[in-house]
Amino acid sequence: MATNVSAHEHHYHPPGLQHQFEDMGQQQESASIGMWMFLAQEIMFFGGLFTAYLVFRAKFPMAFAAGSNHLDIYWGTGNTVVLIVSSLTMALAVHYAQLGKRMAQVLCIILTMILGATFLGVKAVEYTAKYNEGIVPVTGLNRRTPAGEAQAPVETAGEHKTGATEHAYHNPKGEFQWTDASLAKKAEDAGYLTSAEKAGYYANGVLDANKFRDKVRIFYWIYFAMTGLHALHMIVGLGLMAWLLWKAWLGTYTADYYSPVEMSGLYWHFVDIVWIFLFPLLYLLGRHFGGGH
Amino acid sequence: MQNIDAINSEIIERPAVNYLNNGYSLKSWLLTRDHKRIAMLYLASVSFFFMLGGIFAGLIRLELLTPQSDLLESASYNKVFTAHGVIMVFLFLIPAIPATLGNFLIPLMIGAKDLAFPRINLLSWYLYMSGAAVAAYALLQGGVDTGWTFYAPYSTTFSNGYVVATGLGAFIIGFSSILTGLNFIVTVHTMRAPGMTWFRLPLFVWAHYATSLIMILGTPVVAITILLLALERLAKVGIFDPAIGGDPILFQHLFWFYSHPAVYIMILPSMGVISELIANFSRKRIFGYEFVAFSSIAIAVIGFIVWGHHLFVSGQSIYAGLVFSFLTMVVAIPSAVKTFNWTATLYKGSISWDTPMLYALGFLGLFLVGGLTGLFLGTAGLDIHLSDTYFIVAHFHYIMVGGTVMGYLGGIHFWWSKMTGREYSEFWGKVSAMVVFIGFNLLFFPQFILGYMGMPRRYASYPEELQVLNIFSTAGASVLGVGFIMPVFYLVHSLFFGKKAADNPWLLPGLEWRTASPPITENFESTPIVTWEAYEFGEESGLHTEEARRTTLAPTA
Repeated sequence: MATNVSAHEHHYHPPGLQHQFEDMGQQQESASIGMWMFLAQEIMFFGGLFTAYLVFRAKFPMAFAAGSNHLDIYWGTGNTVVLIVSSLTMALAVHYAQLGKRMAQVLCIILTMILGATFLGVKAVEYTAKYNEGIVPVTGLNRRTPAGEAQAPVETAGEHKTGATEHAYHNPKGEFQWTDASLAKKAEDAGYLTSAEKAGYYANGVLDANKFRDKVRIFYWIYFAMTGLHALHMIVGLGLMAWLLWKAWLGTYTADYYSPVEMSGLYWHFVDIVWIFLFPLLYLLGRHFGGGH
Repeated sequence: MQNIDAINSEIIERPAVNYLNNGYSLKSWLLTRDHKRIAMLYLASVSFFFMLGGIFAGLIRLELLTPQSDLLESASYNKVFTAHGVIMVFLFLIPAIPATLGNFLIPLMIGAKDLAFPRINLLSWYLYMSGAAVAAYALLQGGVDTGWTFYAPYSTTFSNGYVVATGLGAFIIGFSSILTGLNFIVTVHTMRAPGMTWFRLPLFVWAHYATSLIMILGTPVVAITILLLALERLAKVGIFDPAIGGDPILFQHLFWFYSHPAVYIMILPSMGVISELIANFSRKRIFGYEFVAFSSIAIAVIGFIVWGHHLFVSGQSIYAGLVFSFLTMVVAIPSAVKTFNWTATLYKGSISWDTPMLYALGFLGLFLVGGLTGLFLGTAGLDIHLSDTYFIVAHFHYIMVGGTVMGYLGGIHFWWSKMTGREYSEFWGKVSAMVVFIGFNLLFFPQFILGYMGMPRRYASYPEELQVLNIFSTAGASVLGVGFIMPVFYLVHSLFFGKKAADNPWLLPGLEWRTASPPITENFESTPIVTWEAYEFGEESGLHTEEARRTTLAPTA
């Protein structure tokens, strides 16, 4: 009788159940709603940037087309594929965690990490190209070339369409360099320029290369802000993966307790989806206008 | 009523160990995961910043005692009103009720052991303190002169203040607010005790649920905006300064997309407190429970689409102005629903005039004035005359101080015995509620007239003919200051010398009153089973016989 009572009082306490919850179901549901709320918050966080993109794209479409044309569509497409595949391996990791298959989980998490790191590596290559070409929007963050040491700019896979090739690269202060206003000229000739664009690109009634450059610089500011923030989320994601890998290796996740894998998976998919929006907005839209393809 | 004392003296022997005395070390406080202790940490820090912000308010009123700019020259005056705004908005008003009373009471009210994520709850307090430290650093380095609104391009390009550090502080505090909201939403969804259905939730919980929605969906927008602003100031390139092709109106849109709903983050929890006070001190089920509950949600939803009324004179399109003006009228409806329902609850109620109720009734009057003058300002045409005058200052102080602070103080008095297990002096409580009400009106009512006469806000000097009203206002500030300081003394006094409080001194049906004062760390001896409706004072509440009480409290195993 006494043993019965004590067994009743100290009812089964599953590993991983925290003190504030009654049972694993409640804990699982809380984690799930919590993660979705966090992602809602993330959507609004990126939402501010998407709004800025929308406003300036609507205001200066030609400057955005010019900037977009200069992004490397091949690296961008490749990276999109890499990220989508990483979402697959992540989903598989959750699947194997639910089945309690330890080594399959570990393998999928490692694959996800490799793909995530590949994405960041490609992003680094793209950023470096922008640094070398002098189109990072912040003064001082571009490659500095003192006078007299002029070099030809680095070509990026077949996508170099600015007038920068026409003259030597000379950038002692590491400023944002953009001399090509041909797209705006083309739009002007075709009568496509809106009044807002004219107000933005014209000085004394004529198209002004410096004023156009400032608007292209806004495109690159938004490009770096959006992809930079996205890359930061990728780095956090890799940190999560490293932690998961360790726990999965120890065999923590079983059919009864796999919530952390599932939640990290949700986060990873979210970061993937943000890129699925960033890629067409930054790399694809507007390319057809004067893009030469 | 005759059996209240009898019941209170008899109920369950008070447990020897409660959440306050189960550990006295610093570590037991700083690393606690108990929502009640975290609430007390917040209570102390939030009240501290309220006093600090109040000192800056005092400096503003002292400067405005005379028409000349004499106590403070203009540049210092700019920094003082910015410090007042930043501290009061980010460090006091937004976390005030949710992080203290909400944190303490939501798990108790729904019959849970804790919030869903206790560690995240503690993290939110550390984020709050870190953000406060960064903002304090900016203040000590020399402060900011942009106003709490950080309008570009002044903030990005011209200001000499510590905009980046202050912005970083606000950014960090924002995430503390997001985490609090996230925790509340999940807790209300998954942690309710058996029988505690959505429509049995106290309205305090509904109000906090609505508030949390705004915290989660609004705060990240201002976070990214402030981040972009800081980056623009550092990098000297960006999207807000018109000199380099940016759009300053975009900043205002993004800023107010959060900062208008933020007003509802401040007022909704206070409305939740008032719903509790009015129903409980009228000993009556609240009139139109569902309407009051859903009006909170309606305010949260509609509140997201009215931000443009801050931009009537900023160069936003006139058609946008028209739409925002209309929507502003629409958001007044759910607030009016609440006010009418509170009044209808009082009707034929058996009203008692305890200190918390005095604060609640004060709230009703002040919020009415604040809300109705909001309609003046929401009318696009009239707003052109009143924009950036003291009329605005008076209006939002009637909402922020008359609404939020009255609710904060009313709530602290109401639940003080639950939080600390001690009784404060009812006499001094009543005196302070009256002094606050009188001081507040003396301080802010003249500002409506000053604003209507054209006195602009944010200036250190003004024409001599406006001095009389300004003297009234400054005198009111002194009275209000006294009213705010009094509770500090008698509440702290009660901690050490106050009479031990009963578990349920007013014999109220809420779950938080059916556990010990102060509660044990796990909140309830066993998970309660709820069989009564919210604000149920009849037989079903099980309050009227001691036996029934014991049944409700019996272990459910």
